Amino acid sequence: MLEQTHRQARLRFNAPGVLRQTLPYAVALGIAFALAGIFIHLMGYDVLRAYQTILFTSFRSANSFVQTILKFIPVTLLALAFTVPFAAGKYNIGGEGQMIVGATGATVIGILLRDEPAILVLPLALVTGVLFGAIWGLIPAWLLLKFRIHEILTTTLFNFISYSIIDYIATEIWRDPVAGHPTTIPIGDSAWLPLVVRNPPLHSGIVLALLIAAAVWVYMTRTTGGYEMVATGANPEASKIFGIKTSRMFMLSLVIGGALAGLAGAVEVEGYQHRLIVGLQSNFLQLGLITGLIAKGNNFAVPFVAFFIAMLEVGASAMQRTMQIPVEFVFIVEALVLLCVLLSDVVRRREWIRSSVR
Amino acid sequence: MAEIVQTSADVLQMQGVYKSFGARYALNNASFNLEAREIHGLLGGNGAGKTTLMNILYGLYREDKGTIKLHGKQVEINSPKDAIARGIGMVHQHFLQVENYTVLENITLGLPGNNRFSADYRDETRVISSLIERFGLQVDLHARIEDLPMGTRQKVEILKALYRGVGILILDEPSTNLTPQEVDGLFKSLREMVNEGMSIVFITHKLQEVLDVCDRITVLRHGCHVLTLRRGEATEEAFIRAMVGEEMKIQESVLFADHARRSPVVASGQPPRLYVDSVDYKDAHGVEVLRNLTLDVHAGEILGIAGVAGNGQRELAEIIMQVYPPSSGKIYLDGRDITGMEANRLLSLGVSYIPEDRLHDGFLPKASVAHNLILGWHHQEPYSKRGFIDWAKVSREAVELIDRYNIVTNGPSEVGANLSGGNIQRVIIARGMGHLSTLLVAHNPTRGLDIPSMDAFYSLLLAKKEVRVGILLISENLDELILMCDRIAALYRGEIMGVIERSRFEKYEIGRMMSGVRTDT
Repeated sequence: MLEQTHRQARLRFNAPGVLRQTLPYAVALGIAFALAGIFIHLMGYDVLRAYQTILFTSFRSANSFVQTILKFIPVTLLALAFTVPFAAGKYNIGGEGQMIVGATGATVIGILLRDEPAILVLPLALVTGVLFGAIWGLIPAWLLLKFRIHEILTTTLFNFISYSIIDYIATEIWRDPVAGHPTTIPIGDSAWLPLVVRNPPLHSGIVLALLIAAAVWVYMTRTTGGYEMVATGANPEASKIFGIKTSRMFMLSLVIGGALAGLAGAVEVEGYQHRLIVGLQSNFLQLGLITGLIAKGNNFAVPFVAFFIAMLEVGASAMQRTMQIPVEFVFIVEALVLLCVLLSDVVRRREWIRSSVR
Repeated sequence: MAEIVQTSADVLQMQGVYKSFGARYALNNASFNLEAREIHGLLGGNGAGKTTLMNILYGLYREDKGTIKLHGKQVEINSPKDAIARGIGMVHQHFLQVENYTVLENITLGLPGNNRFSADYRDETRVISSLIERFGLQVDLHARIEDLPMGTRQKVEILKALYRGVGILILDEPSTNLTPQEVDGLFKSLREMVNEGMSIVFITHKLQEVLDVCDRITVLRHGCHVLTLRRGEATEEAFIRAMVGEEMKIQESVLFADHARRSPVVASGQPPRLYVDSVDYKDAHGVEVLRNLTLDVHAGEILGIAGVAGNGQRELAEIIMQVYPPSSGKIYLDGRDITGMEANRLLSLGVSYIPEDRLHDGFLPKASVAHNLILGWHHQEPYSKRGFIDWAKVSREAVELIDRYNIVTNGPSEVGANLSGGNIQRVIIARGMGHLSTLLVAHNPTRGLDIPSMDAFYSLLLAKKEVRVGILLISENLDELILMCDRIAALYRGEIMGVIERSRFEKYEIGRMMSGVRTDT
């Protein structure tokens, strides 16, 4: 009897679920921008104009929209490279290194097979990039399972190994003597990703990224493999007792993570740079982590958050150009958004405890 | 609600006590009084508020509202230290002891003494020895805590309180980890203390214990005081009614009504459902946890495993469930060797498992209720086909299970962590009972359930027995085993001390086996 009424009471309480889910995000966003606004104001800039620049630059011209998409692709893939292992309870901080070796893999194929037809080289370069990234996820997974070395440590350290690899290739093996910056010679155009929009140029990596994001979401929420990964992340002991091979899931999650970041690297080379440039990883790892964390590991939310972040990035460069506000400022905004989203979680948990029946 | 008549003879009066955790009232106008020189039973189902009320008295929680009077004077108790200073001691279900200290050191720990630099314990030893003598609490003062069984550790905890000179002693479910013999010993000691002028509060959900030892009995339900009576003033039935309220039909219950129980028909030539053949198990540290253990469970039979916690029960269950392999020996299911089989294949043969440690071994707090309900069956039809989970089907099924097992939740998609302990246990039971066809291994399945849910679980168990499921019921609750089982085997330090048939069930006999005395069967 008593429990019956409780249940009804809670059902009613939870009816506007969507609003309850998105409202904290909106509030967090508002607070973050308000806080950052105070800083901008204190530094003596025009807050309103700064925010207009940050938020609307992406939509002002076709060119800046394409710029946003070009950021969106690696941010999405690197965010997924974090959220997939995250679902299994593993922390992949090696997206950067996996991206670099992925880019390296694509470059190797793109240069060595530069005279072969595109139908062979293009997919092979992509697959090699994915494979290299996967290996860069597999080794930390193996070290974790074999020697219990924490994956945060190994994936981070593997980033540093990849810096040396890219340095070596770009300065020793295929150095482009004309370029002022450590860069390899260009890959053959048979390895270039075809364009989907000619002017301003937008390569088909966007299609790939969206398809992959959808596939990851379907895999994690609809398949038994995804179920087992989520269960492993939720409670490895219980999962093991109930027949899930948790070690395999840990390994698989890190390998998928590595493969996704590797793909990001390959797409960056084949679609955008067309050569291996030292520093191509940019700050995509951090942006991916921020995206994955703001999305709270929800793969459906990842592309949306990634687009938002890409927008901020493009807006930030514009802000620097037109208002001389340092681009790093957007980092502060992004960090504030993340902090506020995390804080809104704490607030909500408190509220839940207060309103919980049992 | 009956009013309590409070007299000047009371050493303690608690009145109109409210306490809420979040929106839930743990105590809702509870009252309690304690006379001098009495053992007072505080009775009620899980979640009735017994422990909360006493934790307030002991200063662990602060009441939202209400008054506490000690010897007629209103007091405020802010911490256990306060409580001890006022002569109130409490022995919890889980002891806080320093495992690698001796008994003596544990008892005197934290008290000022002039032996800080000399470690001269002569005075203390004298005092404590006299306490041991007076109350019959035999303990070796120089033994290390980690080497002692639970029953002895409990004596240490009681001595700790006595040494601090308490006049009111609260015991929270003190019989949980004891053999019947140890329970008797405890009751005798309690009686001695009362004779010397102490008052004792005895928290329990077991009616029989209360009727055995208590002078007066208070029943709480839903945080409310229901009644207080002297032993003998009311029938057993009246107390049961007070505990469970009107929600439960006692005549139909397994717990309280006497049912004629059919013993299972063992078909000749049929292999047992489960046959554990001379299993040994050494853990990672090389400790022998199970020794030459052989047992069988037939179709339609409930075999009970009795034993004090920590005698190898958990390892036995996990080895049967193929969580890890035995060091030697074999396990057969319907005559088929399943040793070393993958856990998911075992589950698909119709074996179910209700693990003891529900949070650690059985539940996915970060996943949804629906996720939890199909754990272990997620790769089978109808829940999934060709690698894809049919969430519509799972959701429908989950709604049905939520309803049938009275799980209080917003629905299948609610996050598991939002559920209360009792509801988590219901989810695990729903999962274990919903998919079952051959064998059920259940380890302390009713821990944390209230009385109606416990009773419902027992009926389900009997129904499964009817359809010839073999059931291995591992439980620390001997009453539960005696109520439900066809045979009981007692486990002591990883060995079976003997197996007793239902017709020869006798509490003390089983208790002897639980403490390591072999019985020929």
